[in-house]
Amino acid sequence: MVELLATPPAWPTILLERAGAKDPTDLDAAVRTGAFEGLRRSIRDLGPTGTIATIAASGLRGRGGGGYPAAEKWRTAAQAEAPRRYVVANGYGADPAAATDRYLLEHDPFSVVEGAAIAAFAIGASDAIIAVRTEATESIRRLEAAIGAAEEAGFLGFDVLGSGHDLVMSVRPVQGAYMLGEETVLLKALEGKRGQPEQRPPYPAERGLYDMPTVVNNVQTLASVPWIVRNGADAFAAIGARTNGTILVQVRTPAGDGIAEVALGTPLREIVALGGKLPKGRSIKAVLIGGPSGGLLPPDLLDTGYDFESLRAVGAHVGSGSVVVADDRACVVDLARLLTRFCASEACGKTIPCRIGTRRLVEIADRVIDGRPRPTDMTLLTDLSADIVASALCDHERLTTLPLASGMRYFRPELDDHLLRSSCPAGVCHPIAVAAGAAS
Amino acid sequence: MSLIPGLGIVGGMAVTLRRFFEPKVTVKYPEDRRDPPHKFRGRLQLLYDEWGTLKCETCFQCAQACPIECIDMGGMDTRGRYHVHWGPPETYGERREESALRRSGRTVPDPAYRPFAAVNLGRVDAILDEFDHDPAHMLGILEAVQAAYGYLPVAALKRISNLTGAWYAMIYGTASYYAHLRFEPPTATEQVAAVNAHRPPEAAYLSALDASLAGGSGGGRSAGTGAPN
Repeated sequence: MVELLATPPAWPTILLERAGAKDPTDLDAAVRTGAFEGLRRSIRDLGPTGTIATIAASGLRGRGGGGYPAAEKWRTAAQAEAPRRYVVANGYGADPAAATDRYLLEHDPFSVVEGAAIAAFAIGASDAIIAVRTEATESIRRLEAAIGAAEEAGFLGFDVLGSGHDLVMSVRPVQGAYMLGEETVLLKALEGKRGQPEQRPPYPAERGLYDMPTVVNNVQTLASVPWIVRNGADAFAAIGARTNGTILVQVRTPAGDGIAEVALGTPLREIVALGGKLPKGRSIKAVLIGGPSGGLLPPDLLDTGYDFESLRAVGAHVGSGSVVVADDRACVVDLARLLTRFCASEACGKTIPCRIGTRRLVEIADRVIDGRPRPTDMTLLTDLSADIVASALCDHERLTTLPLASGMRYFRPELDDHLLRSSCPAGVCHPIAVAAGAAS
Repeated sequence: MSLIPGLGIVGGMAVTLRRFFEPKVTVKYPEDRRDPPHKFRGRLQLLYDEWGTLKCETCFQCAQACPIECIDMGGMDTRGRYHVHWGPPETYGERREESALRRSGRTVPDPAYRPFAAVNLGRVDAILDEFDHDPAHMLGILEAVQAAYGYLPVAALKRISNLTGAWYAMIYGTASYYAHLRFEPPTATEQVAAVNAHRPPEAAYLSALDASLAGGSGGGRSAGTGAPN
């Protein structure tokens, strides 16, 4: 179980407002602190279009990594002609190094349930599915308890709060593949098919689960929704720089790891500082942002804001919300190879650039680390990355190139040591297997 | 029919004469080539790589895409698992034998089930009843079957395919995609280890990440937090 990191008291809390509750599945206690107030307000005062307009005004964007405006998805799904609509809450949390979604589901299931209920009311969906990892038994248990309590109280089920709108909410445990974090893959898994992404457009908001308009939102996105409806779009828009609202991050440093809620746009330096001080005599060498397919950033970029655009601009992404700090014991090339290898082996194999191209990337990294690089390898790496990005079907494929590409962009001297001098500054890899006799 | 005698002959000769001056349809084949019809897809052929092994990964994507379900396959998959499936229309030899058996009044063995251990399919039927024979619940069906048998017997997959109407290729694709579903009995530990080596599980990634952060010593984070040696 990961613990919560202490954040400065001035930092806003939206997602973890009720996280300190003694029993997260106690509906009465949650209602006393404002749970389902947003749903009531949405149904009584705002109506479907008013709710969507409020979310649009708040500038809420998807917390799953893509950063797509939530209200756009809702509007598209609400306008599509269809006999049924679905809301899917993506709580899979694919990154093994980030338990943020799971933490949220365990500590405040009602915020996700309420957010999904508001989304379902706004788009006119009668089914809402919360997809969770099968391994996360505690989140499943608490979610089911929360849904049961909410149904009994009339917040879900038949004729929600007298609005005439019916809503069936269910928890669906899924497991077995890293790719399930991607929205179209998750929909495939819910349909009982093999988990491979679909060509977009049509987006799931037009044609998703069982070919019906489906809103797929991360659980953190949905957990922000009740707060927005309750406190107004302006209050939400006042939080965060460049992108509004807060997001959960998991900071992992050699000193320890934990989860924290940070406002989007917070400088990376402050987020990294949450993880505690590095061991004596160590300095930050690289920060991995965005999970296995994230970018490796050097310490002089730590003033970058943690938001979608700023991170994309420097070659990283919000991704799973994991921030991994590597000190000078780590070798960047070794780290990039590990990440690329994980991404390549977890690729679903649908498209050729991904299935074969990412393996070639791993082979290049292998060659560099083993000390037998080919003279063309760096050109090949650049070209191959560009080709994979250009022909990618899903974001996993596009972002798999990031660890090596950002490593090449920011840590070229270290890479050159491997390539030209057959030495690893961190002493991690042994690129001198062949020339061992010649070099010292 | 015609009132003027000989008109039919003239008409016929007119056709002959017209053909005489029309461009010829014969193509001098190797030099000139005609465009194939737009629906022509060529002969099905499996390609070999430079080491002489089949490039086919038995991913069944072609079988899923085939509009008339004529593609089917069998053999080893990419994880080194022996997994055979006979496609009914392709095995003409077996077909003929079967019809000969039928004509002589003997029982016809079902080739699909022969190479596999006999399994009692009653539990599959019960599971399918529970899931309403709905292919949309395929993942749940497969997980229940695996819970019942310990693995996914091919005969069970065929049974699911027969009763739900879902294509075998689709079911196989789903079953082979998810890492927690397996085709071997759980006793085959060495095969599970091989699968794990091929697809590192997430826990392995996490420990490798910690090891990499701690300088690749493999000691993990707990070893790294101590005094630097």
